Order: sequence, then structure tokens, then C-alpha cells
Amino acid sequence: MTAAKLKPRQTYEIDSLSVTPLLVRMMEMGILPGKKISLFKKAPFNGPMAFLIDGNIIALRIEEADLIQIKEA
Amino acid sequence: MEVAEKKALKSIAIIGNPNVGKSSIFNQLTGLNQKIGNYPGMTVDKMVGQVHVGEKHFELIDLPGTYSLYPKSEDEIIAHKVLNGLGVEKPDAALVVLDACNLERSLLLGTQVIDLGIPLAFVINMKDLAEKRGVNIHTFALYQQLGVPLVMTDARNNQGMEAVRDLFQKENFEVGKPFHKMGFPDLLDEVKREFKLATDYQAFQQLIFADFDPLLPLDQQKWLKDQAKAHGFDGMEQQARETEQRLSQIKALLSSTDSSGKGIPKKFHAALDAVFMHPVWGYLTFLAIMLIIFQAIFAWAETPMDLIDGAFAAASGWVSETFPPGVLTDLLSEGIITGIGGVVIFIPQIALLFGFLAFLEDTGYFSRVVYLMDRMMRPFGLHGKSVVPLISGMACAIPGIMATRNISNTKERLITILVTPWMSCSARLPVYIILIGLTVPDQSWMGINLQALALLFMYLLGTAFTLLGALALKYVLRTKEKSFLMTDLPIYRLPRWQTVLLTMYNKSKVFVLEAGKVILAISIVLWVLASYGPSGQMEALEVEKERALEAATDNQKHELASEFASKQLEASYIGILGKAIEPAIRPLGYDWKIGIALLTSFAAREVFVATVATIYSVGEDVEDELTIREKLDKQVHADTGEKVFNRATGFSLMVFYALAMQCMSTVAVVYRETKSWKWPLIQTIGMTIVAYLGALVTYQIFI
Repeated sequence: MTAAKLKPRQTYEIDSLSVTPLLVRMMEMGILPGKKISLFKKAPFNGPMAFLIDGNIIALRIEEADLIQIKEA
Repeated sequence: MEVAEKKALKSIAIIGNPNVGKSSIFNQLTGLNQKIGNYPGMTVDKMVGQVHVGEKHFELIDLPGTYSLYPKSEDEIIAHKVLNGLGVEKPDAALVVLDACNLERSLLLGTQVIDLGIPLAFVINMKDLAEKRGVNIHTFALYQQLGVPLVMTDARNNQGMEAVRDLFQKENFEVGKPFHKMGFPDLLDEVKREFKLATDYQAFQQLIFADFDPLLPLDQQKWLKDQAKAHGFDGMEQQARETEQRLSQIKALLSSTDSSGKGIPKKFHAALDAVFMHPVWGYLTFLAIMLIIFQAIFAWAETPMDLIDGAFAAASGWVSETFPPGVLTDLLSEGIITGIGGVVIFIPQIALLFGFLAFLEDTGYFSRVVYLMDRMMRPFGLHGKSVVPLISGMACAIPGIMATRNISNTKERLITILVTPWMSCSARLPVYIILIGLTVPDQSWMGINLQALALLFMYLLGTAFTLLGALALKYVLRTKEKSFLMTDLPIYRLPRWQTVLLTMYNKSKVFVLEAGKVILAISIVLWVLASYGPSGQMEALEVEKERALEAATDNQKHELASEFASKQLEASYIGILGKAIEPAIRPLGYDWKIGIALLTSFAAREVFVATVATIYSVGEDVEDELTIREKLDKQVHADTGEKVFNRATGFSLMVFYALAMQCMSTVAVVYRETKSWKWPLIQTIGMTIVAYLGALVTYQIFI
């Protein structure tokens, strides 16, 4: 599954990232395979999602969260 | 002598991730010795400051915050060009600011800079937070492995800054050990030879940037692409590969130097985010904060604006009385001084708005606003970051447009710039108040005052056109950039007053120095057009006026003066132009007198009131809105005997002022922000056409 489906209070591990032009950008922000990821907050009406990754809060739109494949930690 | 001095001054580029406190360090080192300039062909500002350490002087170049050296926006292109000395002078060294709590992420950029081969030093900032979290950083071990001097700081609390100054004093910048080994040795060698580059990584960057650098000559671009193709080099694939390998090398480095640290989880001030990011409370708090800011801007900006207004009026009066009458005195007193006054008058609003914005930005609240508002803005082709410029536009479009800087997507930034002037700014208020007073009865309908309702409607009309305009532009403008949102929500911190004050100062300075020139030029042109007419007519009127005044009693003098002011405006070039456009504005319900007011109020919307007062010879006391209104109400068309300001004309005028550009300062600031005349011209013409059509429809409905 992808990070877009993450529910609050679940901690998963990033498995892989889809290959898109955003790939490098995600990696350089610290969104990397092997890191723990959990959902911090979600904006209403399918707005951006704020994730906790490696001690940082990173806000992504659902489309971008959908590029992050996750697995159970 | 001067040449020798110039040589002694070394230039050092400062670079780091966003939110690592880079500007904090820059501000601490340079204080008020900052200068804002341009990179040729780029819209991003060049910030340069002077650092004095003992006897030594350095020039510090503040590069935009970025996570890597890959091309994504102009920010990275500028970092790339400056650090490699492409088209700009190459700095002698680089100061890379790292985040103590995010060493892995910061070192991605840090080691990329190492591999460019430029002498550098690392500043590991925010050591206070790292200490709180129990993160260990062994600077000496890191130094041994990287070969780059490191110092630890807490720039917010002014700790460790002595060590940074010491770096400058000893010029302790070293070329690091090459960190990452690149593939494609043959290809990189060829690029190195062709562009006379020193390191493999510079050559690699040159290949990657081939597509993105707008200033790279086409033949060189083609050469780079051909070479890449011949060697089977795919830029995107190689960037991903490099990033991955670099990050795993960094991980190994951090664990071998025992610097990764097992910090306790970050304290997030979750209680604050529980409110600020809440699906209901978050929006309400945002609304409340914006309301407070507006209240403050209206309340606090008024007094200084009145003072500025008064001071420039006094200066203008003093000049015209003191110097011998003539063209030069008039130019100075009515053209130049009034023009400069028209620039300076905006400073209180700009400074206050940017003071608040810097305050909110520095606390970390702003990225929460982006998170909250992105969903609402997206359907209109805007970004979460467009919200603050648009809302600022309700006070004044100028600071709003200047606040679009941090929208990294070119298309979204451009749309925001183009539609912000449609938000109902405070300069429209005097126009609305006069016209509503003339055309809307002061009665209640179901307990609501009709005049208040009309004013509310004008604000809603502006907002509606802003959003619809954005929507239309979304389909018109083309871009190859994909819109995305990927932003760090930094932890909340107390704002630093130094940063807030410096932002207020710098933004006001940029406006005065850069937009000010254009505003001054246009206002002088408008003044000439309004004060001079074709051969001798004005002079004849002046003679006639003198004669009439001599014959008049004291009681009549005031009336005569306003009568002649009206006649002179009619005889001026702008009066002639106003008459010339009458056939075009007739269908909107305007006569040539209103036409003149439309032309003069291109300087600023509120000028409409003053011009109308002059041209209908209401008198010069334009402060008294009630008198103007009463006198305008009595105006009738000479031929038909109908009221000039009837309901249809009044509504049509309000719609026109809601939708037309009618603000040369906004034009100037759009020019300054887009660095070209293309967009301000398209915007002005487009807005005028929309305003014309809107006013036409309104008039035809209500007539």
C-alpha cells in the first residue's frame, strides 16, 4: 500500500518510491526507503497530509503520498 | 588603490537547506550591511552583505535555501551558477549551514558542495535543539573524514558566532576530500575540457543543468545533450542514483564518526498543532490572525500615512512659494515631490504587512497555513502559498505581489501575481464610498443597511474575479513544471526581532528603490499631461484667471479658483485625451469629465475622487466627502438635463474600479517581480478590457 492510505497512529516503514520527476526531491527531503513513517495530521476534504518521517513533519498532497510505497514495520 | 582594495575583499557564498537558520547567520554576520541586487536574467534577488572581522572584510552572498544542487527552480540554478562561477564571479569560498538535528539531509547538499571543489567550511546550526534531543556530533571525527572545518552554532541565541567569525578571520576554508565518485569518467572528462571545469562533479552538474539554465547558449546546450546521448547518460536516472548513493555514504559516515545520535523524538509542540492544524479550529485561528493583522495595518498605517501625506504636501507648498514661479518650480513641487510622496506613502503598509509576515514565518506558523489552504486554492490553479499574497491584497496589492516570492512553481506564482490586484484593496474604498453614497439609498432592507450591503458586494465581486481570473489563467498559461506540495513543517520557535525588523526594512527599501523609479516616472508623465496643453491655451487661461481674480470680491475668489482649475484641466493634454475617449466610454455611461478622471486615476484609484472634485469644480477641499457628494449629486448633463451620477453610471463606475488596474504602483511592482514588461502590460490591458466589459454590462442592465 501507499502512504496515502495511512491511518493515524499507525507506524509503517517506507518500502520504495515510485520513479517520477519528484523522486529526487523526495529523497533529498529525507523520504527514503527504510525510514519509519506515520500520519501526523490530515487536512479536510482530501487536502494535504502531514507525515512524521525521521523526526520531521513533512506535508504532501495525496498524489505525492501515493508515490510512497510502505510496508508494515 | 581601489582595485587593490577590491582584491582584498574576499567573497564567500552562504548556502543551506530551508529552515536551518541560514538567514539568521547571514543577518548576525552582516547586520544592516546588506544589499539587494539582481542576477542577470533571473527573478530571484541577489542578497549580498558585508562582513567585517578585525581588519578583514568579506562579501557574503546569501544563496537561496535548497535541499540539493539539482535544478528544480531558479533557486538551485542560481546556487549552481554562483558556486561554479558561471556567468557571475565565482566566490572564493562557501559557508555551508547544516542542521544539527537533520545532519543526513543537510549533508546531502553539504557533500555536493564539497565535490564541486570549492574551499568551504561547515556551520552546524541549531546545536541547542540537538543537545536537547541528545544527538551527538563529533566534529573532529567529521573533520578528519571530510577534510572540511566545522563549527557548531546556535545562531538564534547568538551562540558560536565567535567561532564563525574566527573562520573568517583565519580564512579557514578548505577544499574537502572528494566525497562521491561519479560514473561516466570519459563523458565527464570531455565536459570538463569543453567548459574548463576542475572537478567531475562540476561536469556532472553542467550536464544536468543543460536543460534548465536559461542563459546557457543554445549551441552549448545542444553539445551537452548530444554528448549525454552518445554516452547513454540519463540525467534524471543519474540524479536519483547519485542521491541514493550519497545518502548511504552519509549514513556510513555518520555512524563511523558516531554522530548519528539516538535522539529522543522531537518535541513538536503537538498541542499547538492540535489547534493550528485542526480541521475547524485551524481555519478559525487563521481567519482570526488575518483579521488582527488587517486591523493593525489599518489602525497603525493610517497615522504615518497621514504624516507622510502632510509632510510632502508641505514640502511641495514650500517649494512653490519659495522658488521663483516657473516650469522648473512646478516640476519640482507638483511633479517630483508629489511623485516621491506617492512612493513613500506605501511604506507604512508594506513595512507593517511584511513585519507580520516575517513574524509568522519565523515562528514556523506559515507552512501550516500552506497545509491548511492548499486544498481550497488548487481548483483555481493556485497553491497553498498563494493565500497570503491574495489576502494581503485586500490591504494593498503591492505587498501582496511582493509576498509571492516563496511560490516556487512559476505558473502558480505568475497567476497569483496577475490576479492579486483584483482583490479589493484599501485604495478602492474612497471611490466606493463616494459612489455608493451617490447611488445607493441610505435605507435598511430586512435590518441590513443597503449601503453596507453594496460595499460588501464590491468586496465579494473582487474576490470572485480573483478566483475566476485564476481559473481562466490556469487553462491559458502553459508550463512544463508539475505542481506539487512538499514542505517541511518546522517546529514552532519564538520569532527573532532582528529578522522581523530587517525584513521590514529590506522590503521597504526594495520597493522604494526599484518600483519607486517607475512610479516616479509615470507620475511625472501624468503631471505633465494634466498641467500642460497645446500651444498657449493654458497660458491664455492663466491670464484670464488673473484678470478675473483681480476683479472678484473675496467671496467669489474661492469659487473662481475652482472654476479655473476645472477649465485648466479641461484644456490640458489629459483633458483632450479624456474628450477623445468619450465615444468609447459613452456606452459605459461616462462623459468626458469622468473620462479625464479615469485617465488621471491611473496613478492610483483614490485620485478619481480628487479629479472629479476638480473637474466638476467642487472646490479644492477634497477631504470633505459629504460636500463632494452633495455637489456631484447636483451635476446634470448639459444637453439632456439628466443627472450625471445616476444609478447606472455609479454602478458602472464601481464595477470599473473594482476590475481595472488603475494603479501605477502595482504595475511597477509587477515589473519588478517578473523582471519584464511583458506581464505588467498584459495584465494592465487584460484588466482594463475586463473592467470595460464589466462596466458596459452593468450600465446596460441598470439604465
